Amino acid sequence: MSPRRDPVTTLARLAADLGVSFLPAGHQELLRSITEAARRLFEAGACSIALLTDDGAELQFITASGAGADAVTEMRIPAGQGIAGWVVMSGQAIAVDDVAQDPRFAATVAQATGYVPRSILAMPLETARRVLGVIEVLDRAEHRAATNRDMELLGVFAAQAALAIESSTVFNDLGRFLLEAWAGASTDTDLADRLRRHASTAPQPRKDMAEIAGLFYELGQSSASERRLAARVLREVLAYTRDRSTGDDD
Amino acid sequence: MSLPAWSEQFDRDRLRNVPSTLPPIITREWAWAGATGAGVRVAVVDSGVDAGHPAVGHVDGAVIVEHDPEAPSHVRFVEGAHGDVFGHGTACAGIIRSIAPDCELFSVRVLGARLTGKGHVFAAGLRWTLEHDMNVVNMSLSTGKQDYFGLFHEIADAAYFRNVMLVCAVNNVPGPSYPSEYASVFSVAAHVDKDPLHFDYNPEPPVEFGAPGVSLDVAWLDRGRLTASGNSFAAPHIAGIVALTLSKHPRLTTFEMKTVLASLADNRTAAHRAG
Repeated sequence: MSPRRDPVTTLARLAADLGVSFLPAGHQELLRSITEAARRLFEAGACSIALLTDDGAELQFITASGAGADAVTEMRIPAGQGIAGWVVMSGQAIAVDDVAQDPRFAATVAQATGYVPRSILAMPLETARRVLGVIEVLDRAEHRAATNRDMELLGVFAAQAALAIESSTVFNDLGRFLLEAWAGASTDTDLADRLRRHASTAPQPRKDMAEIAGLFYELGQSSASERRLAARVLREVLAYTRDRSTGDDD
Repeated sequence: MSLPAWSEQFDRDRLRNVPSTLPPIITREWAWAGATGAGVRVAVVDSGVDAGHPAVGHVDGAVIVEHDPEAPSHVRFVEGAHGDVFGHGTACAGIIRSIAPDCELFSVRVLGARLTGKGHVFAAGLRWTLEHDMNVVNMSLSTGKQDYFGLFHEIADAAYFRNVMLVCAVNNVPGPSYPSEYASVFSVAAHVDKDPLHFDYNPEPPVEFGAPGVSLDVAWLDRGRLTASGNSFAAPHIAGIVALTLSKHPRLTTFEMKTVLASLADNRTAAHRAG
């Protein structure tokens, strides 16, 4: 294979650096449609999703629908305070009828968004592997307050959002490594070396993805029967891990 | 004749007589009339407790459990007075105090500034309660992470055999929730009734008990109060009732306590429940 032209390498480097910006186009729309559906179902003022940052110290809002949506999106709040913080830390859902009764929380939110909700219903986004973040519904219709049915309902939305986020994270990790390796390689052999080097130097959990990418690359060079055998082994492994899922420490 | 190891204690010569703990008919009068929770050690494993909050009055002990990569097992313990990070631990302590006013309250703070190492911090907090002779532990926390299934299961079983009664809020998120799903704990979800001593029994586990947890007026940060809902407020109601009963009947084992609660539940149809 001939050395690639510069623009491709540049694009690949950019893509790798930009990371989350290169999520599949439908991902963000799906999450926004989840918040919009929840907002309508609960007859609420707003609904938003915030994810934990890599160091677990902050919650970053990634999508929102309704009042204050633009101000909230991209906003970061410390994971160690407020209603959303407790929810993500404890793994428990909570509803607060009058947020103004928690003056510290109300002040933080008002400062950042200019919109202080009366009520909040917040639930963790969690998979069997890790805690991802929190989904919040603000100012549900008054008549819904004294019921715990809304929590059960929001749980369904939370599960759907967690699934969407988890699958895009896996996609993103794998994509990032292929792109990083691509950016630094000039020939086929070079690409294989790059993937191997990534696998040996990358921090966990990206290390695993890099190693898998390298193995896939090598499989691509082997015969059809060998690829079929590898696919069978992979299917067995996945069937096993579905029964007993493992993950990295929070 | 040689017997398997665990059969020796049932050998006729060695078998002890065990005093009866439960009456033929269990009533609320028998269970907690006149009881105050005195002498029962109750731990609140949560975000800390504001000991100065009027709803709490005082705490008898406090420890912060936090992630520390340098420490053995990556967990550090800091004993001594502390505040509440979020307000939730104070809410739980206030509920327990309102039901069992003379119980000894201990705050085990396992929630802090970040999520790092959460599972191990929770587990270390629970172990602390076992090592410090708590009788009742309120845990309005859960994890769905499968990696912690075995770890929490082991601690929950150890607590069960030592008669440390773990009262855990179940979560509303579909999927697993530890330790609230284990048979060895009292698992609790919220119902809409407001009477603090109103609780229901569900014969279809994993969630066994329902207690008040919707639109409750609870203690919160800065000596304030908040109107809030969640299973996490239902659990301390059951913890309070367990503490109350235990102060009058300190020899009850965990499974006997479950029998008492199941017998006295408001949805139990037996004619003799009154009292």
